[in-house]
Amino acid sequence: MSLGPGGTTVGGGRFGVEPGRTRRPGFGRSEGPQLIPVGGGKGGVGKTFVAANLAATLARGGYRVVAVDVDLEGANLHTALGVRRPRRSLADYVAEREEDIPKLLEETSIENLQLVAATRPNLGSPQPGHARRIEFVRALRQLDADFVLLDLAAGTDRSVMDYFMVCDDGIVVLTPEPTSVENAYAFMRAAFYRRLRLAMLSDEVRALVALAMDERNERGIRTPLDLLREVEHIDPGEGVRFSRVMRAFRPRLVVNGARSAEDIRLGFSVCSVCRRYFAIEAEYMGYLNHTDDARRSLRALRPLVDAHPRSDAAVYFGRIARKLLEPRTPAVGGERSA
Amino acid sequence: MKPPGEQDHYEALDVSPSATREEIERAYHLAKATYADDSLAGYSVFQEGELPLLRERLEHAYRTLSDQDARRAYDEEINRPVAHLRGEPVEDFPPLPAVEPPRPLDIAPTLLPPPLAFHTELDEEEISEEEEGEFDGARLARVRERRGIELDEVAGVTKVNPSYLLFIEQERFDDLPAAVYVRGFVKCYARCLGLDPDRVARSYMRRYEERSSKRKRGLFSRRG
Repeated sequence: MSLGPGGTTVGGGRFGVEPGRTRRPGFGRSEGPQLIPVGGGKGGVGKTFVAANLAATLARGGYRVVAVDVDLEGANLHTALGVRRPRRSLADYVAEREEDIPKLLEETSIENLQLVAATRPNLGSPQPGHARRIEFVRALRQLDADFVLLDLAAGTDRSVMDYFMVCDDGIVVLTPEPTSVENAYAFMRAAFYRRLRLAMLSDEVRALVALAMDERNERGIRTPLDLLREVEHIDPGEGVRFSRVMRAFRPRLVVNGARSAEDIRLGFSVCSVCRRYFAIEAEYMGYLNHTDDARRSLRALRPLVDAHPRSDAAVYFGRIARKLLEPRTPAVGGERSA
Repeated sequence: MKPPGEQDHYEALDVSPSATREEIERAYHLAKATYADDSLAGYSVFQEGELPLLRERLEHAYRTLSDQDARRAYDEEINRPVAHLRGEPVEDFPPLPAVEPPRPLDIAPTLLPPPLAFHTELDEEEISEEEEGEFDGARLARVRERRGIELDEVAGVTKVNPSYLLFIEQERFDDLPAAVYVRGFVKCYARCLGLDPDRVARSYMRRYEERSSKRKRGLFSRRG
């Protein structure tokens, strides 16, 4: 039986893209790269693994890709991509030693794939503030590339959420474990409420959204739909904006470390719960099997898809990449470019 | 989301009012897993005592929507157009000649294909809409089992004799009627499973022709 679309190896070019040929995706913004944040709340679920391999998969497919590590505290995307000692890093930008983002780019061993590392030569060097982060994202949008993948830190801190909000449909990585599922929901809810709050104009509605973010709020607002009703009550105009943002937000799920059919189905169940309990339309992008190759390729300082292009995991990454390339029905709006 | 008490059956199952039979089956199985006590996807979401209520609601919705008559009555009750069933009866080829009455389904359960284990082909059926590769009887059976549909239910929707459906799954070509009928049966069966009927029939009939020509050759050689 065939392995599915990614398994049919057509001249090495997976997901129907000839390698080595630079092609721009036929969708999205006509100008500038598509920014894809990879988050997930919990540490250790494989955000860096997914970001590195997805970037490598796209690059192997002929797209020009920049992988950006925005996790200054736990920077290691460079290692996952086989760059032992990056010469420049995001830290140089934060410390205002370097203002020109293209100069931060490091080449990797993979053609078409460049890296912005986040190593800090000085552990005492500062974290970027909100304004500096926004400036950084703006600069990333100017890069001459097809895709820019952002490897996010764990947690739901504002500094992390800002990066997740560079688009409506960032990737959320989760593993089939209660701890990860719990944090994935928390992460998506945090992203959702933060978007909503930023999109609202009146102080009163904003305060209400902030109140609803607390699950045990005294108004008994449990779901975004409850909140929507309250917002509409206060200000119908804000209600329209609210539901627009609500509809536009469509995170994409990747289940990492699947070992059984049940684990695979988890993605569908989580989407169902998101839709019904949080009014979030998540999309299941696919899963990655649990494999020792992941650790082996890390030890070899090469992305798995590059070291083992015929492995199952490479096939699954190919499938996820293909989904990324598919045109999506345009978001109804509500995007707030950082 | 509306509280479970205010949801109609379609909302409770999270399907559209025009959902086909197999979409309802799939939604039911997904929801059942989602609202199980040990459900991973529900972790940290549901409140105490909420799950049994949700499950009860789900069962009620499923019982109604999975029964054609009950569903039609329910649709009328809530003023919805009667849902269109995707599996249509056989119609585009000549009527069947009289055949002997079907044999009872006396095949031991062990002869049925095993339930699908964790396998790469799972995902092409689950996640992508791709339907690559060959469709043999065993694969049809696996797809059917994955959807949680019984042969009798397929027979009910397609109006194809359940024995023939079983023979199709087991590739007992000798027990099946002429190719023109088998093609029609396979198409109906595939449509009922939500697969591309033409592609499945093409693939399946290739196997059928191959084997029946071998069979004929065998016959001739024995005679000669």
